[in-house]
Amino acid sequence: MREVFDELERRWVALASGSPRLALSGAGTLGRLRNRLSRRWPSPEQVRALFPEMEARAAARVAWRIGGLEARNRAWVEGLKRSGLDPLRPLVRTPPAFAALRPPLLLVTFHVGAVHALGPALERLPAAVLGLRHGPFYEVRPPLALETTEGDAQRRAALFQRLLAHLTGGGFVAMALDIVPGAGLPVPCLGRPLELARGPFALARLAGVPLVPLVGRWRREEVEIVLGEALPPPLAEGAAEWESALAVSAGLWLERYLRASPAEIGLGLLRTLLGPEL
Amino acid sequence: MNADRAVEEAVRDLLRSRSPLARRLAELPDDLRLGPGGLGLDSIALVELLLDCEERFGIGGIGGSAGLLAGPPLTVDRLVAHVRAAVAS
Repeated sequence: MREVFDELERRWVALASGSPRLALSGAGTLGRLRNRLSRRWPSPEQVRALFPEMEARAAARVAWRIGGLEARNRAWVEGLKRSGLDPLRPLVRTPPAFAALRPPLLLVTFHVGAVHALGPALERLPAAVLGLRHGPFYEVRPPLALETTEGDAQRRAALFQRLLAHLTGGGFVAMALDIVPGAGLPVPCLGRPLELARGPFALARLAGVPLVPLVGRWRREEVEIVLGEALPPPLAEGAAEWESALAVSAGLWLERYLRASPAEIGLGLLRTLLGPEL
Repeated sequence: MNADRAVEEAVRDLLRSRSPLARRLAELPDDLRLGPGGLGLDSIALVELLLDCEERFGIGGIGGSAGLLAGPPLTVDRLVAHVRAAVAS
């Protein structure tokens, strides 16, 4: 069944490549249907393993929606590869609070919701933005510029130094917390251990800037940007304790977000949290 | 002790303060790498070490040592040479 739906989705996205809204809407429908018929990726039981208080039928509905979310994300990436960001930019909506953000600021995200669709939002910020990306680049507009997170410790140190200089120079930095290139910081999330990258928390400490959570969520075939409150600076004294406390605060923010919107969890994060159970 | 020697000793002290492995070694060979395959400092520890040097010797703001990380693997003698040059200028 997986191959059949993969092929259907591929053909649909190719057919509707001239209309991103149509491509995304159809992909979402196919993704939900695929999940409903297969009861996999994820299964309702896997959803309930993370949200045990959820009733079976509600868990099934959440699983369908996750299937749709994943399919729309795949369609977004395919559209990006085919035509770049231009046709996709109008689909991203930012809240008024977004334009009011002032640097220096660290915008942090997680692999939830419309994670690939943050670029157009970051392009609307009122000062230079360095966005970190793991994986292939795509063309973005100023004030956003992309940097890769890949490389050995020394290359990542050079990147860390550039990010620090960018923040202290009054810029924005945007990065994901749940991609861990080096040693991570363990935090609890939905009763499971989750490892967060240490870099953003060290950056916040060294640059003295706040961390603001930012995620994208699908609203039909559009993406709505959700901005959290700045995470409160911890009272802890030592550097390691301070970073760990801020990481726990970020993990709690994610947990609150997912409890309120369980269908926003992507398969990747679901797999990470469930580990060998999936 | 001449100025160059004093700088070298201070840099080595900073290295020992950042690296548990460096504290255990009787000597820090000049060609010892600070990152993987040597003292094993991770990316954040490498930058913190450079910030320590900048603060200790007053040698410019963040990013002053950007070229150092962009080049070949950072070793004890490359770091010492960089700090010496920055102090001298």
